[in-house]
Amino acid sequence: MRGALLPSQLRAITSTRSGALAIFIVRRILWMIPILFFVILITFTLMHLAPGSPWDKAGGRQLSDTVINNLNIRYGLNKPVAQQFLLYIWSVVHFDFGLSYQYQNKTVSGLLLESWPYTATIGLLAFLLIIPVGVGLGVLAALRQNTRIDYITMGFATVAASFPNFVIGALMVVVLSVLAYKATGGNFYLPAAGFGIDDSLIMPVVTLALLPIAYTARLTRASTLDTIRQDFVRTAWAKGLPERLVVIRHILKNSLIPVVTTLGPTFAFLVTGSVIVETVFSIPGIGRAFVVAIESRDYPMILGTTVLFSLVIAVANLVVDVAYVFIDPRVRLT
Amino acid sequence: MQIGSWSRALTLAIGAVFLAACGGGGQTSANLASPDKQILRANDGTEPNSLDPTQQTYTYERAVAIQTYDSLFRAKADSSDVEPLGAQSFDVSSDGLTYTFHLRQNAKWSDGKPVTASDWVYGWKHLLNPALAAGYVDPFFDQTIAGASNYGSVDTTSASAVDAYLNGLGLSAPDPNTFVVKLDHPAAYFKWVATLWMAAPLRKDVIEQAAGGAFSSTDTTKAEAWANNAATIIGNGPYKIKEIAAKDHITLVPNPNYWAAAPKLQQITYYYIADGNTAYSQYQTGALDIINVPLADVTVVRGDPKLSKEAKLIPTLSQYWISFNTKEAPLDDAKVRLALAKSIDRDKLVSDIEHGNGKPLPTFIPKGMPGYDPSDNAQSFDPAAAKKLLADSGKAAQLAKMKLLTRNTTGNKTVNQFLADQWQTNLGVTIQLDVVDSKTVTGQHLRKGVFDIYGLDGWISDYPDQQDWFDIFQSGSCHSLNWGCLNIPGYDALISKADAESDKTQRAKDYTQAQKMLIDTAVVAFLYQPYEYDLVKPYVQGLTVTTTDDQYLPGDSRYNQAYITQH
Repeated sequence: MRGALLPSQLRAITSTRSGALAIFIVRRILWMIPILFFVILITFTLMHLAPGSPWDKAGGRQLSDTVINNLNIRYGLNKPVAQQFLLYIWSVVHFDFGLSYQYQNKTVSGLLLESWPYTATIGLLAFLLIIPVGVGLGVLAALRQNTRIDYITMGFATVAASFPNFVIGALMVVVLSVLAYKATGGNFYLPAAGFGIDDSLIMPVVTLALLPIAYTARLTRASTLDTIRQDFVRTAWAKGLPERLVVIRHILKNSLIPVVTTLGPTFAFLVTGSVIVETVFSIPGIGRAFVVAIESRDYPMILGTTVLFSLVIAVANLVVDVAYVFIDPRVRLT
Repeated sequence: MQIGSWSRALTLAIGAVFLAACGGGGQTSANLASPDKQILRANDGTEPNSLDPTQQTYTYERAVAIQTYDSLFRAKADSSDVEPLGAQSFDVSSDGLTYTFHLRQNAKWSDGKPVTASDWVYGWKHLLNPALAAGYVDPFFDQTIAGASNYGSVDTTSASAVDAYLNGLGLSAPDPNTFVVKLDHPAAYFKWVATLWMAAPLRKDVIEQAAGGAFSSTDTTKAEAWANNAATIIGNGPYKIKEIAAKDHITLVPNPNYWAAAPKLQQITYYYIADGNTAYSQYQTGALDIINVPLADVTVVRGDPKLSKEAKLIPTLSQYWISFNTKEAPLDDAKVRLALAKSIDRDKLVSDIEHGNGKPLPTFIPKGMPGYDPSDNAQSFDPAAAKKLLADSGKAAQLAKMKLLTRNTTGNKTVNQFLADQWQTNLGVTIQLDVVDSKTVTGQHLRKGVFDIYGLDGWISDYPDQQDWFDIFQSGSCHSLNWGCLNIPGYDALISKADAESDKTQRAKDYTQAQKMLIDTAVVAFLYQPYEYDLVKPYVQGLTVTTTDDQYLPGDSRYNQAYITQH
């Protein structure tokens, strides 16, 4: 049916594997438009259903009714909600995500651009740590199943997965910053907060990466153990192939399929920021900005951030799906 | 200024000095650190929502604004009166309606241009522009500046209506050094309104240039185009902005054109660290020089031989209380309210819950302000008298159905649990906590009067004049500041009279009478005056700590006199 609607040249393209892939990607990108529309619709509705107004503060000085009235006019909140929604959609179509209510005269896109680089840097570094460490530990544990290496690795993974990251972050600050500073007279310690392309990255990146590392290691181990018992692996061993070749070409390539599935969402999770890590280490990232926006009912900021996050997640999933094509030749692009 | 919880946003203390020059150490050139080390690093907690002082509301915004902009006056270090800042002196006409401010003749903007009276008119009109809806504009239109009172009824979508309103305001500049403000009503406290930081002068030429030319008075985007860029924030204060690192920190350097002597501190960096524990770690690792101690760490700091020497306990001009919804039974009965007020052991509250950071106070006006008088013991702790009052009222059963509206924060829940325990122990009445999301407390409960008992409520001085405090309980403030809505006969008239009264003795007498009315009718149950517990590194010297200062930044009203010693 779909093929019939395409011009004949396009039909020719889809018949090749790379052509089919291109069509697949384009179709998935086009699908993002309705997805984003519904994300906006749902977020907008929930946001306006949530009690509390952008002008009421959780504590402290409260604005007078007169000022609140004028603010509602200034930001168009006196208009009917349906009209506000249509106006918002109209401006989003023009790539205008509006002005923040909280930060005067700052555009939502400007605020997102301001804070995302911090979050993305830390998230990306954590991701780069997860793949070798998580996958490495998992494969190691599986290949040396029921040995001390396996027990230590999985013990570490269990502990890392069980401790909430605010505990780990706070503990690291106490030990590696405060106590180290006292013990060495301020000569060797890690900065307790702040952001820079220096040693201040170590603790946030490790805190952020620990849980996904543990998760990835356990998943890799399970999936590798599964693969090891497959007939084709036994055949590879029987052929007398060296261990390196068996592990990399035969075991790893197959055992990584479920891991790749989770790496997409993990990547999305990491680069959209962790409010806890950003608060504990005082990093001016997007995770904290999002929570602050929700707390202060900064509607345009909430919507803008949600749209950005949806895009990141959609793209990460798309990348995973495309990666399947290369890892698993059985995948069909329909 | 309303207090809701221990949120940072709430403090603005202006008032009496309690500690002068807490640094103490003799300032000699021998122990002064070199100019490149004259850097002060402190935690401001939250990034200002705007760097335009006229659009600011909260103390974390004020912290930056008072360094970059001078108001007409500021409070004296002992807060007994105002002292000159942007203005050198002022005259009041005999009818109390015309204030003539004589501006400082050598005052200059950070770009070197002289500050003129028309800059003050422009700044104040920017503040009063109803289309911009500045958060802290009320003291300027509410029974003060002539022609301003219809602020709320201007059609803010019509440029001609806004222009007509702004042009009709009683603000004028008869000559470059004279700024005249005409009032609607005599307001004996207006000199204090002129100390508020949002009443700053602004540069029309700079703002219009940043906006790309002259703009309509309803164009709020163009009106604020200048305010996020260090290059276009031209101020008249002791410091100017060097760098804005959004949500992380702001760096201030001396304004070379400031009228006073050049400051020793060559750089002030305010960080925006939201988590008190993080700031505490930064202080311990030498990355911050001044912090506010998180409540959980107060005991540790007190017990630490090194840190306890660096700690300062600083009174604020504020007072906490709990509000009663006096529109409903049984809380419409003064006996019931007094019984609740008299069954709270405030000494225990301050020592156990607040770790000693406060002063138990069963009266209204806090220590350090004119009008402070703890002699009225109508609300003092007395369980026997409380039980008798409740028995006399015969409403114990009804009272047990009341709930204590509690913000969903650790601090607020702890205090309110303590209060409920006190009522259980001392009065034999079980009152349940009604814990509600902090954000919705004001809109869903307080503004609508949907609550029985609410706490912690309170007030922090905007300026150390009693008018700022007594206006809270006017009947017109029902469901806005006076959440409990008690209407005391004769109170409104007495306060209006006192607010306008030019005879100081009579004015003080009227307020004393009003305070007695509030305490004796238990309009609210007064609890305690909170103190701030801050840490300051020993090498930060020359600080003059006053109650005018920011709670996180002791001495910040006069940082241009502070310095760093060799360390």
